[in-house]
Amino acid sequence: MTFEELAMPLSASLYNYARWLTGEPHEAEDLVQETYLKALRGFASFREGTNFRAWIFRILRNTFLTSRTGLRATAMQPIEDDDQFVAEGDPETIFLHHANGEELRRAILELPLEFREVLLLADMENMSYREVSEALSIPVGTVTSRLTRARAKVRRRIQEKR
Amino acid sequence: MNEHLSAQTIESYADGELAAERVPDTEEHLRECAACAGKLVAQMQLKRSIREAAWTMPPHAFRPRRRWWPAVAAAAAVLAILIAIPRSNSELADLHTTILASANPVDVISTDRHTVKPWFEGKLPFSFPIPELAATPFHLAGARVVYVREEPVAYLMVTKGAHRISLFVGRDVPSPRTDAFESVSWTRGGLRYVAVGDVARTDLEALRNAF
Repeated sequence: MTFEELAMPLSASLYNYARWLTGEPHEAEDLVQETYLKALRGFASFREGTNFRAWIFRILRNTFLTSRTGLRATAMQPIEDDDQFVAEGDPETIFLHHANGEELRRAILELPLEFREVLLLADMENMSYREVSEALSIPVGTVTSRLTRARAKVRRRIQEKR
Repeated sequence: MNEHLSAQTIESYADGELAAERVPDTEEHLRECAACAGKLVAQMQLKRSIREAAWTMPPHAFRPRRRWWPAVAAAAAVLAILIAIPRSNSELADLHTTILASANPVDVISTDRHTVKPWFEGKLPFSFPIPELAATPFHLAGARVVYVREEPVAYLMVTKGAHRISLFVGRDVPSPRTDAFESVSWTRGGLRYVAVGDVARTDLEALRNAF
Protein backbone atom coordinates (compact mmCIF):
# COMPACT_ATOMS: atom_id res chain seq x y z
CA MET A 1 0.00 0.00 0.00
CA THR A 2 1.17 3.52 -0.68
CA PHE A 3 1.71 6.12 2.01
CA GLU A 4 -1.37 8.00 0.87
CA GLU A 5 -3.60 4.95 1.02
CA LEU A 6 -2.46 4.19 4.55
CA ALA A 7 -2.28 7.71 5.91
CA MET A 8 -5.15 9.66 4.40
CA PRO A 9 -8.03 7.76 6.03
CA LEU A 10 -6.48 8.55 9.42
CA SER A 11 -6.49 12.34 9.04
CA ALA A 12 -9.72 12.92 10.98
CA SER A 13 -8.55 10.63 13.79
CA LEU A 14 -5.12 12.22 13.98
CA TYR A 15 -6.59 15.70 13.98
CA ASN A 16 -9.05 14.83 16.72
CA TYR A 17 -6.31 13.28 18.83
CA ALA A 18 -4.03 16.27 18.22
CA ARG A 19 -6.86 18.54 19.22
CA TRP A 20 -7.14 16.74 22.54
CA LEU A 21 -3.41 16.85 23.15
CA THR A 22 -2.87 20.51 22.30
CA GLY A 23 -6.25 21.90 23.31
CA GLU A 24 -6.11 24.33 20.44
CA PRO A 25 -7.24 24.03 16.79
CA HIS A 26 -4.32 25.75 15.05
CA GLU A 27 -1.69 23.88 16.97
CA ALA A 28 -3.56 20.68 16.25
CA GLU A 29 -3.48 21.41 12.53
CA ASP A 30 0.23 22.20 12.68
CA LEU A 31 0.83 19.04 14.65
CA VAL A 32 -0.96 16.87 12.09
CA GLN A 33 0.89 18.51 9.20
CA GLU A 34 4.21 17.97 10.94
CA THR A 35 3.27 14.37 11.68
CA TYR A 36 2.45 13.70 8.04
CA LEU A 37 5.73 15.28 6.96
CA LYS A 38 7.76 13.18 9.35
CA ALA A 39 5.82 10.03 8.51
CA LEU A 40 6.29 10.64 4.81
CA ARG A 41 10.03 11.11 5.30
CA GLY A 42 10.28 8.07 7.55
CA PHE A 43 7.98 5.87 5.50
CA ALA A 44 10.91 3.91 4.10
CA SER A 45 11.68 2.73 7.63
CA PHE A 46 8.12 1.59 8.23
CA ARG A 47 7.97 -2.18 8.00
CA GLU A 48 5.10 -3.55 5.94
CA GLY A 49 2.93 -5.85 8.01
CA THR A 50 3.40 -3.93 11.23
CA ASN A 51 0.74 -1.63 12.58
CA PHE A 52 0.66 1.59 10.58
CA ARG A 53 -1.93 3.30 12.77
CA ALA A 54 0.10 2.75 15.93
CA TRP A 55 3.24 3.88 14.07
CA ILE A 56 1.81 7.20 12.87
CA PHE A 57 0.12 7.93 16.20
CA ARG A 58 3.51 7.38 17.83
CA ILE A 59 5.06 9.93 15.48
CA LEU A 60 2.32 12.42 16.31
CA ARG A 61 2.81 11.90 20.02
CA ASN A 62 6.59 12.19 19.90
CA THR A 63 6.26 15.34 17.85
CA PHE A 64 3.83 16.74 20.38
CA LEU A 65 6.08 15.89 23.32
CA THR A 66 8.97 17.87 21.85
CA SER A 67 6.78 20.87 21.08
CA ARG A 68 6.58 23.72 23.57
CA THR A 69 3.04 22.83 24.62
CA GLY A 70 4.05 19.20 25.01
CA LEU A 71 7.09 20.01 27.08
CA ARG A 72 5.01 22.18 29.34
CA ALA A 73 2.40 19.43 29.70
CA THR A 74 4.98 16.86 30.71
CA ALA A 75 6.84 19.28 33.00
CA MET A 76 3.68 19.87 34.98
CA GLN A 77 3.08 16.15 35.26
CA PRO A 78 3.11 14.77 38.79
CA ILE A 79 5.09 11.56 38.90
CA GLU A 80 2.80 8.74 39.79
CA ASP A 81 3.80 5.18 40.24
CA ASP A 82 1.64 2.79 38.26
CA ASP A 83 2.38 -0.10 40.58
CA GLN A 84 0.86 1.60 43.58
CA PHE A 85 -2.51 1.51 41.97
CA VAL A 86 -5.45 0.21 43.99
CA ALA A 87 -8.78 -0.16 42.25
CA GLU A 88 -11.29 2.32 43.55
CA GLY A 89 -14.73 3.62 42.81
CA ASP A 90 -17.62 1.37 42.04
CA PRO A 91 -18.92 1.92 38.52
CA GLU A 92 -22.35 0.83 39.66
CA THR A 93 -22.83 3.92 41.76
CA ILE A 94 -22.46 6.14 38.76
CA PHE A 95 -25.23 7.11 36.47
CA LEU A 96 -23.15 8.21 33.58
CA HIS A 97 -25.96 8.29 31.10
CA HIS A 98 -26.91 11.49 32.90
CA ALA A 99 -23.43 12.89 32.66
CA ASN A 100 -23.52 15.59 30.06
CA GLY A 101 -20.98 15.61 27.28
CA GLU A 102 -19.55 18.95 28.31
CA GLU A 103 -18.76 17.70 31.83
CA LEU A 104 -17.14 14.62 30.40
CA ARG A 105 -15.05 16.62 27.96
CA ARG A 106 -13.85 18.85 30.79
CA ALA A 107 -12.99 15.79 32.86
CA ILE A 108 -11.01 14.26 29.98
CA LEU A 109 -9.18 17.52 29.29
CA GLU A 110 -8.20 17.84 32.95
CA LEU A 111 -6.59 14.41 33.03
CA PRO A 112 -2.80 14.46 33.23
CA LEU A 113 -1.36 13.78 29.80
CA GLU A 114 -0.28 10.20 30.49
CA PHE A 115 -3.85 9.23 31.40
CA ARG A 116 -5.55 11.34 28.75
CA GLU A 117 -3.62 9.77 25.89
CA VAL A 118 -4.30 6.19 27.00
CA LEU A 119 -8.00 6.91 27.46
CA LEU A 120 -8.34 8.62 24.09
CA LEU A 121 -6.54 5.92 22.15
CA ALA A 122 -8.47 3.10 23.82
CA ASP A 123 -11.93 4.66 23.96
CA MET A 124 -12.03 7.25 21.22
CA GLU A 125 -9.83 5.44 18.70
CA ASN A 126 -10.93 1.99 19.83
CA MET A 127 -7.34 0.73 19.75
CA SER A 128 -6.52 -2.61 21.33
CA TYR A 129 -4.29 -2.58 24.42
CA ARG A 130 -1.46 -3.79 22.19
CA GLU A 131 -1.92 -0.99 19.68
CA VAL A 132 -2.01 1.57 22.49
CA SER A 133 1.17 0.09 23.91
CA GLU A 134 2.86 0.40 20.50
CA ALA A 135 1.63 3.95 19.95
CA LEU A 136 2.85 5.11 23.35
CA SER A 137 5.92 2.85 23.64
CA ILE A 138 4.83 1.52 27.03
CA PRO A 139 4.18 -2.07 28.18
CA VAL A 140 0.67 -3.52 27.87
CA GLY A 141 0.47 -3.83 31.68
CA THR A 142 1.02 -0.10 32.01
CA VAL A 143 -1.71 0.52 29.43
CA THR A 144 -4.26 -1.45 31.47
CA SER A 145 -3.37 0.15 34.78
CA ARG A 146 -3.34 3.68 33.37
CA LEU A 147 -6.61 3.04 31.59
CA THR A 148 -8.26 1.86 34.80
CA ARG A 149 -6.97 4.89 36.65
CA ALA A 150 -7.96 7.29 33.88
CA ARG A 151 -11.52 5.99 33.89
CA ALA A 152 -11.65 6.11 37.69
CA LYS A 153 -10.50 9.73 37.61
CA VAL A 154 -13.16 10.65 35.07
CA ARG A 155 -15.83 8.92 37.12
CA ARG A 156 -14.75 10.67 40.29
CA ARG A 157 -14.72 14.02 38.56
CA ILE A 158 -18.26 13.53 37.33
CA GLN A 159 -19.39 12.43 40.78
CA GLU A 160 -17.83 15.45 42.45
CA LYS A 161 -19.86 17.66 40.17
CA ARG A 162 -23.20 16.42 41.41
CA MET B 1 -22.19 -19.24 42.32
CA ASN B 2 -18.54 -18.46 41.71
CA GLU B 3 -16.72 -15.59 43.27
CA HIS B 4 -17.60 -12.15 41.92
CA LEU B 5 -15.61 -10.86 38.95
CA SER B 6 -12.82 -8.43 39.74
CA ALA B 7 -13.06 -4.84 38.53
CA GLN B 8 -10.11 -5.56 36.25
CA THR B 9 -11.84 -8.57 34.69
CA ILE B 10 -14.97 -6.55 34.02
CA GLU B 11 -12.96 -3.75 32.48
CA SER B 12 -10.95 -6.09 30.25
CA TYR B 13 -14.12 -7.86 29.18
CA ALA B 14 -15.80 -4.54 28.30
CA ASP B 15 -12.73 -3.63 26.26
CA GLY B 16 -12.84 -6.97 24.44
CA GLU B 17 -9.40 -7.75 25.86
CA LEU B 18 -10.09 -10.61 28.22
CA ALA B 19 -7.95 -13.66 27.48
CA ALA B 20 -9.98 -16.07 25.33
CA GLU B 21 -9.74 -18.95 27.79
CA ARG B 22 -11.33 -16.84 30.52
CA VAL B 23 -14.30 -15.68 28.44
CA PRO B 24 -16.61 -18.73 28.87
CA ASP B 25 -16.40 -18.70 32.69
CA THR B 26 -16.79 -14.96 32.81
CA GLU B 27 -19.86 -15.04 30.61
CA GLU B 28 -21.36 -17.84 32.63
CA HIS B 29 -20.90 -15.79 35.78
CA LEU B 30 -22.39 -12.71 34.13
CA ARG B 31 -25.51 -14.65 33.19
CA GLU B 32 -26.10 -15.63 36.80
CA CYS B 33 -24.89 -12.60 38.70
CA ALA B 34 -26.93 -9.42 38.40
CA ALA B 35 -24.40 -7.43 40.44
CA CYS B 36 -21.52 -8.16 38.09
CA ALA B 37 -23.72 -7.75 35.02
CA GLY B 38 -24.73 -4.33 36.36
CA LYS B 39 -21.10 -3.35 36.77
CA LEU B 40 -20.37 -4.48 33.24
CA VAL B 41 -23.21 -2.37 31.87
CA ALA B 42 -21.94 0.67 33.81
CA GLN B 43 -18.44 0.04 32.48
CA MET B 44 -19.64 -0.18 28.89
CA GLN B 45 -21.75 2.91 29.37
CA LEU B 46 -18.72 4.83 30.62
CA LYS B 47 -16.71 3.69 27.63
CA ARG B 48 -19.43 4.73 25.22
CA SER B 49 -19.96 8.10 26.91
CA ILE B 50 -16.25 8.85 26.81
CA ARG B 51 -16.13 7.90 23.17
CA GLU B 52 -19.06 10.13 22.27
CA ALA B 53 -17.71 13.00 24.34
CA ALA B 54 -14.23 12.66 22.85
CA TRP B 55 -15.48 12.76 19.31
CA THR B 56 -16.80 16.22 19.89
CA MET B 57 -14.03 18.75 20.06
CA PRO B 58 -12.74 19.65 23.50
CA PRO B 59 -13.26 23.12 24.88
CA HIS B 60 -10.64 25.61 23.82
CA ALA B 61 -7.66 26.07 26.01
CA PHE B 62 -7.17 29.80 26.20
CA ARG B 63 -3.80 30.18 24.64
CA PRO B 64 -2.65 32.63 22.02
CA ARG B 65 -1.89 31.22 18.64
CA ARG B 66 1.70 30.20 18.24
CA ARG B 67 3.60 28.72 15.35
CA TRP B 68 6.68 27.05 16.66
CA TRP B 69 7.65 24.78 13.87
CA PRO B 70 10.29 25.85 11.43
CA ALA B 71 8.48 26.04 8.15
CA VAL B 72 9.26 23.25 5.79
CA ALA B 73 7.51 25.39 3.29
CA ALA B 74 7.88 23.53 0.05
CA ALA B 75 7.02 20.13 1.44
CA ALA B 76 4.18 21.62 3.42
CA ALA B 77 2.73 23.18 0.32
CA VAL B 78 2.73 19.83 -1.42
CA LEU B 79 1.15 18.17 1.57
CA ALA B 80 -1.43 20.88 2.00
CA ILE B 81 -2.87 19.70 -1.29
CA LEU B 82 -2.90 16.11 -0.12
CA ILE B 83 -4.24 16.86 3.30
CA ALA B 84 -7.09 19.26 3.36
CA ILE B 85 -7.74 19.43 7.08
CA PRO B 86 -11.18 20.94 7.15
CA ARG B 87 -11.23 24.36 8.75
CA SER B 88 -13.65 24.65 11.60
CA ASN B 89 -15.56 27.64 10.36
CA SER B 90 -15.97 26.64 6.74
CA GLU B 91 -19.33 27.10 5.24
CA LEU B 92 -20.72 24.00 3.59
CA ALA B 93 -20.54 25.57 0.13
CA ASP B 94 -16.79 26.16 0.57
CA LEU B 95 -16.38 22.64 1.83
CA HIS B 96 -18.33 21.30 -1.15
CA THR B 97 -16.08 23.23 -3.55
CA THR B 98 -12.88 22.25 -1.76
CA ILE B 99 -13.75 18.58 -1.60
CA LEU B 100 -14.75 18.36 -5.25
CA ALA B 101 -11.53 20.10 -6.26
CA SER B 102 -9.42 17.78 -4.14
CA ALA B 103 -7.34 14.98 -5.64
CA ASN B 104 -8.74 12.66 -2.98
CA PRO B 105 -12.28 13.86 -2.42
CA VAL B 106 -13.33 10.83 -0.38
CA ASP B 107 -11.53 8.50 2.02
CA VAL B 108 -13.59 5.46 1.21
CA ILE B 109 -14.44 4.92 -2.42
CA SER B 110 -17.44 2.67 -2.61
CA THR B 111 -20.80 2.44 -4.29
CA ASP B 112 -21.91 -0.07 -1.69
CA ARG B 113 -23.80 1.26 1.31
CA HIS B 114 -22.86 -1.91 3.19
CA THR B 115 -19.22 -0.84 2.91
CA VAL B 116 -19.77 2.81 3.67
CA LYS B 117 -21.96 2.47 6.74
CA PRO B 118 -19.51 0.31 8.74
CA TRP B 119 -16.65 2.55 7.59
CA PHE B 120 -18.21 5.40 9.56
CA GLU B 121 -18.32 3.30 12.70
CA GLY B 122 -15.93 4.63 15.29
CA LYS B 123 -15.41 7.81 13.30
CA LEU B 124 -18.65 9.52 14.25
CA PRO B 125 -20.53 9.91 17.53
CA PHE B 126 -23.81 9.02 15.80
CA SER B 127 -25.02 6.65 13.13
CA PHE B 128 -27.56 6.98 10.38
CA PRO B 129 -29.09 4.71 7.78
CA ILE B 130 -27.83 4.80 4.20
CA PRO B 131 -30.63 3.75 1.86
CA GLU B 132 -30.37 1.55 -1.22
CA LEU B 133 -30.12 3.97 -4.15
CA ALA B 134 -30.30 1.40 -6.95
CA ALA B 135 -33.87 2.27 -7.86
CA THR B 136 -33.09 5.99 -8.00
CA PRO B 137 -31.10 8.11 -10.48
CA PHE B 138 -28.46 8.57 -7.76
CA HIS B 139 -25.30 6.64 -7.10
CA LEU B 140 -23.15 6.57 -4.01
CA ALA B 141 -19.55 7.43 -4.89
CA GLY B 142 -17.80 7.48 -1.52
CA ALA B 143 -17.54 9.01 1.90
CA ARG B 144 -15.33 10.77 4.40
CA VAL B 145 -15.53 12.60 7.69
CA VAL B 146 -15.37 16.38 7.69
CA TYR B 147 -15.46 18.92 10.49
CA VAL B 148 -18.11 21.61 10.58
CA ARG B 149 -18.01 23.98 13.53
CA GLU B 150 -15.54 21.59 15.16
CA GLU B 151 -18.02 18.75 15.05
CA PRO B 152 -17.44 15.59 13.03
CA VAL B 153 -19.90 15.35 10.18
CA ALA B 154 -20.49 12.50 7.75
CA TYR B 155 -19.86 13.40 4.14
CA LEU B 156 -21.38 11.32 1.35
CA MET B 157 -20.61 11.95 -2.26
CA VAL B 158 -23.58 11.13 -4.42
CA THR B 159 -23.59 11.36 -8.19
CA LYS B 160 -26.39 11.89 -10.66
CA GLY B 161 -25.08 11.46 -14.16
CA ALA B 162 -22.01 13.68 -14.38
CA HIS B 163 -23.07 15.83 -11.43
CA ARG B 164 -21.62 15.42 -7.98
CA ILE B 165 -23.71 16.19 -4.92
CA SER B 166 -22.35 16.62 -1.40
CA LEU B 167 -24.54 15.27 1.36
CA PHE B 168 -23.59 16.33 4.88
CA VAL B 169 -25.08 14.52 7.87
CA GLY B 170 -24.46 15.67 11.43
CA ARG B 171 -25.92 16.75 14.70
CA ASP B 172 -25.75 20.45 13.98
CA VAL B 173 -25.07 21.20 10.35
CA PRO B 174 -25.81 24.76 9.26
CA SER B 175 -27.59 25.41 5.97
CA PRO B 176 -25.21 26.94 3.47
CA ARG B 177 -25.68 30.56 2.53
CA THR B 178 -24.84 30.57 -1.14
CA ASP B 179 -26.28 31.43 -4.51
CA ALA B 180 -23.64 29.38 -6.29
CA PHE B 181 -25.26 26.03 -5.57
CA GLU B 182 -28.64 24.57 -4.89
CA SER B 183 -29.12 23.16 -1.43
CA VAL B 184 -31.82 21.30 0.43
CA SER B 185 -31.79 20.60 4.16
CA TRP B 186 -33.89 18.33 6.29
CA THR B 187 -33.94 16.71 9.71
CA ARG B 188 -34.38 13.02 10.35
CA GLY B 189 -33.77 10.93 13.43
CA GLY B 190 -32.41 13.96 15.28
CA LEU B 191 -29.78 14.58 12.59
CA ARG B 192 -29.46 17.41 10.09
CA TYR B 193 -29.02 16.47 6.43
CA VAL B 194 -27.79 19.09 3.98
CA ALA B 195 -27.44 18.32 0.28
CA VAL B 196 -25.40 20.73 -1.87
CA GLY B 197 -24.79 20.57 -5.60
CA ASP B 198 -25.05 22.23 -8.96
CA VAL B 199 -28.17 20.32 -9.90
CA ALA B 200 -31.83 21.27 -10.06
CA ARG B 201 -33.58 21.76 -6.75
CA THR B 202 -36.02 18.99 -7.68
CA ASP B 203 -33.04 16.61 -7.90
CA LEU B 204 -31.99 17.42 -4.35
CA GLU B 205 -35.58 16.98 -3.21
CA ALA B 206 -35.64 13.58 -4.89
CA LEU B 207 -32.46 12.71 -3.00
CA ARG B 208 -34.09 13.84 0.24
CA ASN B 209 -37.05 11.54 -0.50
CA ALA B 210 -34.64 8.65 -1.09
CA PHE B 211 -33.21 9.19 2.40
